[in-house]
Amino acid sequence: MTQNVSVDDETARQFLEGMLRIDIFEEETKERFGEGEIPGFVHLSGGHEGSHIGMGAAMGDDDWLAVGGARLIGQYIAKGVPLPDIMAELYGRVGGSNKGHGGQMHVSDIGRKLYGHAATIGSGQNPAVGLALAEEIQETDNVAVTTIGDGGTSRGSFHTALVFAAYWDLPVVFVIENNEWAISTPAESLSPDHLSDYGIPHKMATESIDGSDVEAVYHTVSEAIERARNGGGPTVIESRVARLVPHFEGDKETYRDTDEYERLKEEKDPIENYRERLLERDIVTETGIEDMIANIETEVKEAVEFARESPEPEPEAAYDHVYRTPLYGQGENQ
Amino acid sequence: MTREITYVQAVAEAIDEELARDDDVILFGEDVEEFGGNFGETEGLYQKHGRDRVRNTPLSEIGIAGMALGAAVGGIRPVAELQFADFAATAGDEVFNQIPKQPYVSGGKLKAPLTIFAPSGAGIGAGAQHSQSVHSWLGNVPGWVVVTATTPYDAKGLFKSAIRDDNPVFFLPHKMLSETKGEVPEEEYTLALGEAAVEEEGDDVTVVATQLMFHRAREATADLDIDVEIINPRTFAPLDTETIAESVRKTGRLVVVDETVERYGTQGHIANEIVENDFFSLDAPPKTIGVKNVPIPLSPPLEQEVLPSADRIAAGIESLF
Ligand SMILES: Cc1ncc(C[n+]2csc(CCOP(=O)(O)OP(=O)(O)O)c2C)c(N)n1
Repeated sequence: MTQNVSVDDETARQFLEGMLRIDIFEEETKERFGEGEIPGFVHLSGGHEGSHIGMGAAMGDDDWLAVGGARLIGQYIAKGVPLPDIMAELYGRVGGSNKGHGGQMHVSDIGRKLYGHAATIGSGQNPAVGLALAEEIQETDNVAVTTIGDGGTSRGSFHTALVFAAYWDLPVVFVIENNEWAISTPAESLSPDHLSDYGIPHKMATESIDGSDVEAVYHTVSEAIERARNGGGPTVIESRVARLVPHFEGDKETYRDTDEYERLKEEKDPIENYRERLLERDIVTETGIEDMIANIETEVKEAVEFARESPEPEPEAAYDHVYRTPLYGQGENQ
Repeated sequence: MTREITYVQAVAEAIDEELARDDDVILFGEDVEEFGGNFGETEGLYQKHGRDRVRNTPLSEIGIAGMALGAAVGGIRPVAELQFADFAATAGDEVFNQIPKQPYVSGGKLKAPLTIFAPSGAGIGAGAQHSQSVHSWLGNVPGWVVVTATTPYDAKGLFKSAIRDDNPVFFLPHKMLSETKGEVPEEEYTLALGEAAVEEEGDDVTVVATQLMFHRAREATADLDIDVEIINPRTFAPLDTETIAESVRKTGRLVVVDETVERYGTQGHIANEIVENDFFSLDAPPKTIGVKNVPIPLSPPLEQEVLPSADRIAAGIESLF
């Protein structure tokens, strides 16, 4: 089945390039983690690249992203955080986006309006509501987009965020990345037909889309953002994707059916599908893609070099950033 | 010029003045509009500042605390009420994992200038889930500035500073003190966060106490033939240990009275600071007094049994001589 390309050629190439950037960066991350260079956990985004890039492209520079789920790195890249900042943060180095205080689960970049992530899954949505409230009070037309996995939608805090967003009709776009698994727990066992149905009782706009199609995500999130910008209130989108990687590096995935997994890899790989789609329509050429890949590989290599060369934090830096001091009025009477 | 106002009026005045002073300040919580808060702490504010600045929220502490965090990061200065301090636990992840940690994990790039306030403490027969003093819970999570109020003067001056401070501040008025009166300046003032106040000078023993326990300690020492120095920590975290240590270096004796549960309470922490750093200035072992290791019961005789009484405080002080 051939699918139309619904965006201009340049945008289409950027989508492909964006997805490849996530993929190549993460392949390198996996290698570096395997070599013991990266501490902590590493969760990869395989299968979510289209959802991330489509969402990122739909957002304006001044729209907030509060990251959720466990497929994080792709979202940081989609929000435009430079690769060296991300890689050095994974390494826990001074040159990282958060000076090594955050790590893989906590990349934030306030200048780019990346709020960061609540590593306690499902706690990022109420802050997103607060970000939207702040924008509204400051009389901007910026919106807050927040992602969550299928697993996270079972947390009460997610439902509370829907209540609060609906209460003031705030400009929030909830994107549920349903990859059918919360570690080993299948989303299938949850009762709604679509997880976006959770927005229905709040009279929100809801959409359930094929999230492995970057263009579908782009159009749907764009529409939701437009609606929110124009005072139309929140939207809940279910972006249906496949998790084509283990939950985290080291997960043996004994709970997955091998045939089904292979089928998903064949059918739901957003990069492979889009690449074919663009090739068929002569929007890119094989050599064009090879050039793209070569350029990204250079970027990623530079990011790794930057991370490796960035110093380890001095141990005393552990005490920085707990408080902004002096506290209000402190020391003024002495 | 000063005048006498109640503690709860002082709380309301602090919010009122900060709403008037800074357009970025907004107030939200359950029943903060017409109802005016359970103790009258938000009375009149919504009529004066309007519904954009003073907002009732749906009943969810998770929503209130989580939204406060996002709003603060987004550039405004939220003041959010939880109806009782015990409900810090119903917003557990926001209060313990999100708010105090997001600025830190961002490497200091993200700022969360929010204030959560919540009436704390026992004494009104509110039962086990509406009576706790939670500054020990909060003090155990670096990132929170934890502030209490003992008098109307404290309540107003500290709350105003809390709202202006760029850190997340948890401000804990005490519900038993709501109707107590005290002198408060007519003119605008603030009190420094992170600084203890020497409320009464004395040479024989240092008593550290805040909120209701401060008043009970005062009552306890009125008839004692002992020269007591009373220190009100005001801010529990980060704690002004130096003011307490300086006092103990002079008196040689320390009693810490607090309404947190004795087991893992703030009393033990404060005493430990002195034992570890100023052991040789002590002439007697420090004495810690707090809520007995039980949930707070409802029946007044039971409730009073587990709270430190003036008699228990007096006996504690005398035991050091
Ligand atoms: C509150 C909470 N519970 C459990 C975990 C451990 N955990 C991390 S990711 C995850 C699964 C999340 O699944 P989902 O929300 O569907 O996101 P996905 O991994 O599919 O991206 C779990 C259980 C956590 N981090 N936070």
